[in-house]
Amino acid sequence: MRVKTAAPAKTRTLNLVQAVNEALDVAMDADKRVMILGEDVGRNGGVFRATEGLWKKYGEERVVDTPLAEIGIMGSAIGLAITGYKPVAEIQFDGFMPSVFDQVVCHLGRIRSRSRGKMSVPLVLRAPHGGLIHAPEHHSESPEAYFCHTPGIKVVIPSTPYDAKGLLLAAIESPDPVVFFEPKLLYRSAKGEVPAGHYTVEIGKARLVKEGKDLTILTWGAMTVACEKAAERLEKEDGVSIEILDLRTLAPLDLDAILASTGKTGRCVIAHEAPNSGSWAAELSALIAERNLLRLHAPVARVGGWDIRMPLFRLEQYYIPDADRVLMAARKTLNF
Amino acid sequence: MPLKTIASLDVKRLEILDVNGNVDKALMPKVNDKTLLEMYRLMFQIRRFDERAILLQRSGRLGTYPMITGQEATQCVPPLALKPSDWVVPTYRGGGVYFARGMQMRYGLLYWAGDDRGTRFPDGSNDMIFSIPVGTHLTQVAGLAWGQKLKGKGAVAVTYCGDGTSSKGDLHEALTFAGQFKLPAIYIIENNGWAISVPRKRQSASQTLAQKAWGYGVEGIQVDGNDALAVYKATTDAVERARKGGGPTLIECETYRMSHHTTADDATRYRDSKEVEAWAKRDPISRFKLFLTARKLWDTKKEKALEAETKKWIDGEVKAYEEFPAPNPLDMFANNYETAPRALIEQRAELEELLKFKGGARVLMSLPPTEGRFP
Repeated sequence: MRVKTAAPAKTRTLNLVQAVNEALDVAMDADKRVMILGEDVGRNGGVFRATEGLWKKYGEERVVDTPLAEIGIMGSAIGLAITGYKPVAEIQFDGFMPSVFDQVVCHLGRIRSRSRGKMSVPLVLRAPHGGLIHAPEHHSESPEAYFCHTPGIKVVIPSTPYDAKGLLLAAIESPDPVVFFEPKLLYRSAKGEVPAGHYTVEIGKARLVKEGKDLTILTWGAMTVACEKAAERLEKEDGVSIEILDLRTLAPLDLDAILASTGKTGRCVIAHEAPNSGSWAAELSALIAERNLLRLHAPVARVGGWDIRMPLFRLEQYYIPDADRVLMAARKTLNF
Repeated sequence: MPLKTIASLDVKRLEILDVNGNVDKALMPKVNDKTLLEMYRLMFQIRRFDERAILLQRSGRLGTYPMITGQEATQCVPPLALKPSDWVVPTYRGGGVYFARGMQMRYGLLYWAGDDRGTRFPDGSNDMIFSIPVGTHLTQVAGLAWGQKLKGKGAVAVTYCGDGTSSKGDLHEALTFAGQFKLPAIYIIENNGWAISVPRKRQSASQTLAQKAWGYGVEGIQVDGNDALAVYKATTDAVERARKGGGPTLIECETYRMSHHTTADDATRYRDSKEVEAWAKRDPISRFKLFLTARKLWDTKKEKALEAETKKWIDGEVKAYEEFPAPNPLDMFANNYETAPRALIEQRAELEELLKFKGGARVLMSLPPTEGRFP
């Protein structure tokens, strides 16, 4: 479950967006084929400053301020990848991703198979993810399920600076396309030790946030933080022991870790930001029911956004689940 | 066989009022004094409103806000060529358009404060909420115009997009439909020079954005977007042609975003202040004031009166905005369907349970009454 990496010589405290920036820097320095494409990623360094300094360091041929055209970004990144480059395309906000679906669904994950394995599309599609930063409409979405539903691509979402850097480097080196979500709530609030230089975190492995024996919480992205708060209260107030898995990779899922943990505790709450119906939590719940039914003591509970559009930010804290909602669901599951 | 020229572009640019307030009489549109004064009032008042909105944002009383300053002529003038029954879809930087269409600006503030009650437009006027994923409304506007053509009452649809958005495929498909079905649609490209940090010249190798119209059999023209008279003439010409069944027009208004992209942006990171200073000399409001003064329609006394009236109006709108009670969280479930499905009824009850968990039963009693249709 835990990815073991050799103890690195030098670590510093970075926040998540700095870790993303450092991964891009390390990758561009090591491999001339790596390029960055996106809106405002060059001179401006990205609206969240994820590409800060790279335009100056690597030039406008490799850090490209594209025209404002998401299909253009996505389609040309696919073409560049086929010809041997390693594009890292940025879509500025999660809410601007639907326009790239045509390229993602009809091409991105299918080119390897349609070319009978002759071609591949080793690109990374980066986008900020999720809400709770008081952003305008269409700037706080959680569209991961649409991408996870699409065959042929990998979907990654780190929640710590260490994972952000290691997973992004793994994504850039991946032979297949990776959609890389970055929880924008954590860009500056998540801080942690990050090794200098190159290292990777394996795609497809969950992170054990904390070990426990009575209930498993499966989560990803910024919701990991709310789940940690809920677990702390449950352990203190209810005297129970909670295990938390931060999935980190949503596709392909770390089934070994998910089944081992839920098989051990027999109780599971899945917490995430997207509307619950048809969400990736639904897939997880189905998998656990299919594979672990006889080891469960309670139905698997899903805590997600309501099945309505994300409201404007004055009400976002009542839409995106918080620690209270995770805690309420956990109590129901524990008392089933 | 020799190569033959089978088509050529003839891109025109319209300028009527220069920066010193002088008018090209040959091009001057037919417009009465009342309308001229209305143009000035709208531009003047929305500039002051913009300044106040920025202050509200900077003092934590408003969310991220997109500034209008510099684009007043492009935004406030086209609505004066329209009837309430015509359709209008501005961009998110469209406060001036909505204001000229009669919107109460307290709602504009409410929207940018993150409150869904802010999307309230005047009854009897066909205004639509802008799209935040830019340009995604452009094909819909072809449909709005199509509906007007089918109804046969001479109404038109007017929409805006930025120079950045003109790079998106949406405009290509919208103009394809508008041209092919000869729709009464007017597409205004509000070319303000910058798409966040990307300047117009890096957006497209096309010499002008107006010339994009030619590819679709659509009329196209570039105008000085800081020249209220040129904007008025181009729009009234396009509206008149559209009402008579003459089809769509693309108007590129060349203007300038004098401020940051939004309050969340810092334009000094990527833009030369000399460029901003040069555009300040082409300000749409000051040149229009010189023009009105020369026509004896304006003087210092009137300016003072307008200033006082504007302050009173803005104070009133800000007060009304700040007096809205906090929204009831349960309201988010209203108006999602004509009749709410079972899942939403259950989830709304779950939210009530959460609110009780957070603050006890009293919390529900203390919330303002719910609004909107549910179930």
